[in-house]
Amino acid sequence: MNNGNNTLIHLDGVTKVFLTDEVETHALSGIHLNIRTGEYVAIAGPSGCGKSTLLSILGLLDTPSDGSYSLKGGEVAKLTFPERARIRNREIGFIFQSFNLIGDLTVFENVELPLTYRGMPSSERKVFANEALERVGMGHRAKHLPSQLSGGQQQRVAVARALAGKPAILLADEPTGNLDSRNGEAVMDLLKELHAGGATICMVTHDDRFAGHADRTIHLFDGRVVEDKIAA
Amino acid sequence: MLQEIRHALRLLFKNPLFALVAILTLALGIGATTAVFTLVDALLIKPLPYEKPSELVLLFEHFKQQHLDAIPISPPEFLDYKSQLHSFSKLAAFTPATYNLAQADRPERVFGATVSAELFPLLGVQPIRGRTFRPEECATGRDDVVVISERLWQRKFDRDPKVLGSKITADGRALTVVGIMPASFEFPLPLFNITGAQFGEQADIWQALGFTDTEMKNRGSRSYGAIGRLAPNVAPQQAQAEIETVVRGMRARFPGNYGKTDSFGMTVYPLKEQVIGGMKPLLLILLGAVALVLLIACANLATMLLARATAREREMAIRVAVGASRGRLLRQGLTESVVLSICGAAVGTLLAIWAIALVKTIGTQTIPRLGEVQIDGTVLLVTLAVAVATGLIFGLVPALASGKPDLTEALKEGGRGSTSSRRHNQLRNALVIGEVALALVLLTCAGLLLKSFVRLENVSPGFNPKNVLTAEISLPALSYPDNKSQSNFFAELERRVTNLPGVTQVGLTTILPMSGVNSDASFMIEGRPNDDAHPGPDEEDRIVSPNYFRALEIPLVQGRFFNAADKLDAPSVVIINQALAQRYWPNESPIGKRIQVPFSKSPPWSTIVGIVGDMHHRGLDQPVLPEYYIPVAQIPYSSTILNVRSAQDPLSLTSAIRREVQAIDPALPIAHVRTLEQVIADSVAPRRLAVLLLAAFAGIALILASVGIYGVMSFLVVQRTHEIGVRMALGAQRRDVLRLVISQAAFLIGAGTILGLIAALLSTSVIHSVLYNVSTLDLSTFVLVTLTLALVALVASYIPARRATRADPMLALGRG
Repeated sequence: MNNGNNTLIHLDGVTKVFLTDEVETHALSGIHLNIRTGEYVAIAGPSGCGKSTLLSILGLLDTPSDGSYSLKGGEVAKLTFPERARIRNREIGFIFQSFNLIGDLTVFENVELPLTYRGMPSSERKVFANEALERVGMGHRAKHLPSQLSGGQQQRVAVARALAGKPAILLADEPTGNLDSRNGEAVMDLLKELHAGGATICMVTHDDRFAGHADRTIHLFDGRVVEDKIAA
Repeated sequence: MLQEIRHALRLLFKNPLFALVAILTLALGIGATTAVFTLVDALLIKPLPYEKPSELVLLFEHFKQQHLDAIPISPPEFLDYKSQLHSFSKLAAFTPATYNLAQADRPERVFGATVSAELFPLLGVQPIRGRTFRPEECATGRDDVVVISERLWQRKFDRDPKVLGSKITADGRALTVVGIMPASFEFPLPLFNITGAQFGEQADIWQALGFTDTEMKNRGSRSYGAIGRLAPNVAPQQAQAEIETVVRGMRARFPGNYGKTDSFGMTVYPLKEQVIGGMKPLLLILLGAVALVLLIACANLATMLLARATAREREMAIRVAVGASRGRLLRQGLTESVVLSICGAAVGTLLAIWAIALVKTIGTQTIPRLGEVQIDGTVLLVTLAVAVATGLIFGLVPALASGKPDLTEALKEGGRGSTSSRRHNQLRNALVIGEVALALVLLTCAGLLLKSFVRLENVSPGFNPKNVLTAEISLPALSYPDNKSQSNFFAELERRVTNLPGVTQVGLTTILPMSGVNSDASFMIEGRPNDDAHPGPDEEDRIVSPNYFRALEIPLVQGRFFNAADKLDAPSVVIINQALAQRYWPNESPIGKRIQVPFSKSPPWSTIVGIVGDMHHRGLDQPVLPEYYIPVAQIPYSSTILNVRSAQDPLSLTSAIRREVQAIDPALPIAHVRTLEQVIADSVAPRRLAVLLLAAFAGIALILASVGIYGVMSFLVVQRTHEIGVRMALGAQRRDVLRLVISQAAFLIGAGTILGLIAALLSTSVIHSVLYNVSTLDLSTFVLVTLTLALVALVASYIPARRATRADPMLALGRG
């Protein structure tokens, strides 16, 4: 499915329908989308427009009701749970709004967690995790527990965890949503820095200010792409 | 308080599954405790059904040198004691007896006792009708008066008051009924603490005891029990001291009977100790076991309440925020747990009633006083106290935890992972570890007892009990007054029963193995001294027919069995068992050697003609004793036990045997018809009941501990659902999640197992006295029990772990 122009993600006619009782909710309707390697894409739109659903599908947390999804040229829409988990672990790095660090694990252990699931040997994990922590400036906090960090620091650790496995794409879900403006800006700067270093990023946000940090902004409304704008 | 109770009830109805599990958990714990306490109360705590029972003692003689520890007394000795002992306000003699009651359709064998006139006043129990015996009735020729039980009055006479003064025919004699004892009256009671001195049957007839002239002339013929009531303010030790003095005088007066050494003596035994003492260790072990079950149930309740407390942190925080005091929250929490435990106690009491009915069904025939067991006011009060204490103690921890909510965290919308919930987790973990440890202790004890019981049941009794029917027949002296008539009857009976279809062998004996009845007698060995320095041997004696050994398949080791030629007028012969041969002729063959047995005809020497295999006569757990057998043709006996080996179900022969007996003598009943396998089963019945109960309690403990682990792991999974979602979003496979949850459960199980093993190693010594041929540190039991518990606990944790693997990774995004 690689069309030869560095396409990392290709969605074709993706729809997502939720069935609750007897009501059908069309969260996504016929989404066509290409994301190239090295792009920094923001998905924006009002609450309930389907942007988080789209992110879930992109992150293989959920499957589309219809349509096709190829990642690095391979069709991933119909994969089984274990296959999706394996690809998620190797190709996708998640950054969540609420950080989602595990409270009982140290910063280092949180960062090495996805590498553990990959079956990476301990020595290699140590190198990868430390490298990721250094990259986000949290190497000195490796032995701390998340509860001993500020919100901004926790989100940096979450970014390090997403980076550690050297994924093909970072998916960020309202990464500044739980942060004050100063820490929010700092995280946005970090993402920008990562992008400058070659990372592919896809970020969901409802805040146009933060969407402005991306190269390209896709606006959703009622489950459809209503605008796909590349920054000047 | 009413408001709190209402709120507690509302909560129960709001969460019926929680209420159901909590109440059932408590019901199992409290029900088991109530059932066992009922047994302990009735059998150990409650006084015997006599007036001032603590003053009652049994008196048994002994000959230490001959290893005769507790033997009955003879009539002359009884009269000596009665006239010389002042430590007793009353002394009575008695001996068990059986009566063939004549009836129109089928004669019935009724158990009873002949008792001296002092017995009823001594026991302090009044008849419900009529009177008891007058002293002048306790004399030969005037002793044809009886007192009957209310049971017999009901069963045979339909409670007809005219039975008083009327005559009943027993053993061909007309006996006048003078009184009726209440149904609750039981005497003699079965004795469990003196091996070889058991009086097993429930008596329905008591006849006045008149010693015969022959009995009065024979100081060495001991067949009477003696019971005494200590005089006011006399301790058993004082009575014992006085007995020593009297016995010294008897030894001096009758050296021919007692020898000159202090081998002979008499000992005072408190009656209650002898009646129930043998059951005491088992009952106390059961009480300990239910205490562990209750603790496990309580720990379960506490973990459930803690889980609920965590879930209600926000509610508690709101209550505090609107002004509830800590005391108020504590009271609320305690009310909820006490309401739960009282509901549990109510259901538990119902379970206990059912369990006791079941225990009575299993054990009434073999366990003394079990028929009296019932849940009464005392038991209900204790149950209520246990319930309230349970609710208070195990509700206190969660209630205290609920009383200190972390307001800032708990009141945050979606706030989670507060310090208090972590504290709850630690407490819950500690409780589950404790539950596993307690369950392991209980399982280990049950395992050891079970192994011990299996080993006991596998002990070869020395004969083949399969397919053998036994029945007792007693010939009345009036119809069968001499040896000839008795011999003729039994010979004819043996012939007739042998000819019944399906019968392969028929043997007669005076004493059935493992029936609790024993007999021993002294004898002399030809050519060996028999004096004070070398007292003659005293060993177990049995009188048997020639085919007895074949009927029971007791092997012939050397020589021959008895045969038809061993008649009354033939030379006297005996057969001995291997143990007796080994004891007295360790380095030579006893065949052809001669011994003089009691009641021998003239010339007195009997020749040993055979050696047979040993048997565990007094019980599978009792050592083999030296025994000698005398042919019934040479010492005819008025009572016998028929042993019929059959090729078919032996019980199916019952009617045919009864028919054959009555074809010879229509007035003769047969009694105690049972298979030999049943006799053996009855001999281990208390032990079997204890094993059954302990196994049941261990099973309950295992279930409760598993429910506890399941509950804690389920709660943990719910609590960690979000975290699990995050892990899955990061690429965790289902097996990773399974490993995560199971490893946490394995930690709890492992810690509990280690603690439990240490506790079990320390505590199994408590059951040492009731184990048979099993070490308290039996490795295979420890390993098997540990593996079983670990496996069951892991299965219990696997279910929530499986559920965890179905967590939706979308949760990581705050949805799903």
